[in-house]
Amino acid sequence: MVLIRVPRPPKSAYDPDRPVGSLLKSQVEHMREAESKLPLRYRHEIETYVKAVRTEGEAARYIQAVHKAIQQAHEEADRERRGLKPAPAPTPKPVIEIAAVADEAAERKSNSARKHPAAKSQKSPRTKPRKK
Amino acid sequence: MPPGLDRLQHIVVLMMENRSFDHMLGSLKAVNPKIDGYVDGDAYTNPDANNNPVKPQPSAKFQGQLQPDPDHHFPAVDLQIFGKGSDPTANNRQPNMQGFVASYFNQQRNLAHSQMIMYYFPKENLPVLTTLALEFAVFNRWFSSIPGPTICNRAFAHYGTSFGRVDLNPIYPPETIKSVYTRLIHNDPKRTAKVYYYDTTSSTMEVANLLQNQPELFGTYKQFLQDCDNGDLPDYSFIEPNYSDHQSDSGALIANDQHPDHNVRAGEVFIAQVYQAIKNNPQLWESTALLITYDEHGGIFDHVPPPGCVADKFKADGNATGVGVDFHFDRLGVRVPTILISPWIPAGTVENRVFDHASIPATITKFFVGNYSADRSPREIAADIFIEPQGAAVDPARNLLSLDMMRADCPDFDA
Repeated sequence: MVLIRVPRPPKSAYDPDRPVGSLLKSQVEHMREAESKLPLRYRHEIETYVKAVRTEGEAARYIQAVHKAIQQAHEEADRERRGLKPAPAPTPKPVIEIAAVADEAAERKSNSARKHPAAKSQKSPRTKPRKK
Repeated sequence: MPPGLDRLQHIVVLMMENRSFDHMLGSLKAVNPKIDGYVDGDAYTNPDANNNPVKPQPSAKFQGQLQPDPDHHFPAVDLQIFGKGSDPTANNRQPNMQGFVASYFNQQRNLAHSQMIMYYFPKENLPVLTTLALEFAVFNRWFSSIPGPTICNRAFAHYGTSFGRVDLNPIYPPETIKSVYTRLIHNDPKRTAKVYYYDTTSSTMEVANLLQNQPELFGTYKQFLQDCDNGDLPDYSFIEPNYSDHQSDSGALIANDQHPDHNVRAGEVFIAQVYQAIKNNPQLWESTALLITYDEHGGIFDHVPPPGCVADKFKADGNATGVGVDFHFDRLGVRVPTILISPWIPAGTVENRVFDHASIPATITKFFVGNYSADRSPREIAADIFIEPQGAAVDPARNLLSLDMMRADCPDFDA
């Protein structure tokens, strides 16, 4: 029997600040739509700020928040169906910070563009340069 | 009945992201000429923006090369398949696979960068995928279901259709066509099925219908590993990779879906872990078949023109396709790497029949349910199956789990 060595990716491959791609963007949109169908108490304030999600890390935080909310909502509905005592009400997660950070970044970019018009084509300060 | 089919109790499907057959497995033609890949000297080229021919080269990198993400929405794939100047409204267009470089050039207008879409991995750079392809059964003609992006292609793996969608929008299936999971769990006798997503932060691409309405169908990858250890794997498992770089309880996690520009080595490790989780439990190993496939080609070059197929009963209109003409789902998308693994499959098996992701619900339904009389899409009904049903007279020419004795020489990975 042959044992084959599997090379691991370098730690530098990890980049939660990578700009969010079209697939993750669509996953975020699907989550937003799913969230809009949940009872109000399971929704996050982020719902209205989904378009501010710019990076994979931000998308991941939102996706996790909604995923857990969907699970919680179904678990509670199941408890109700079985006549069990309701679980404690969910605490809304302060994931709105994603939007706030994105807004700040946009503001910084806008201010910088006003001060230094030539810097317009430079990368966003939130985009980490990739090691070659 | 062949013993491999007789013992088969579990089927596991792992669907990765956005890589073409030639890009990942094309180099294997040099090792096994039956594999329809690429060797130096083959005439496959693509014209660049100056009409100079660009050859495939073994220069693909694990990360950092395919930025921006190659376009793989319907209009871009139409260009990739039919080439520059092809008129989507013309009748009888013939696919020539001549538009990949042109399509990538459109994104950045960078001649040198556009040529990277022709790059493929040398065999030694993908020790997991290439070893599995050589050691078990590799499919020369497994195509994505639609010449388009992820969500609609993944829908074919769950429903046998995308209900007329060719894009990334949520899919809300009509009540009549059930997902393969619903078919199994509502069968009499009841069957078991699960979609294993990587973790709650990566979640699933099947949000709009499955997660929202049937969260009981889901489990995490961690649970998959436990279920393998404990011998609790359901009859049918569908595994989703990690779609994002994110923090978890155990630290930083690197996306392992292999979607450009995620690190391809992380996906190699993931594939090896899934394989070892099954193989490390001897009872499970002898009774499980693992299918590894990719949802679509991600805009990356492949040389095999996708064939026509039976039209679906749904259609996408000209606005939805973005090319001004309706699409009747009557041809397949670009070819993707697909491998079937079982210790009952002879090493070096190369399968030449045509498959697409509709073959997944077709096979699972036939194997675990039998004659399923409820509504299914014309595409699924016409799709070939990759595992023959138990109990029936088995055609040896179609049965991939054909060995009389289980193999003891299957590879192991240090994953």
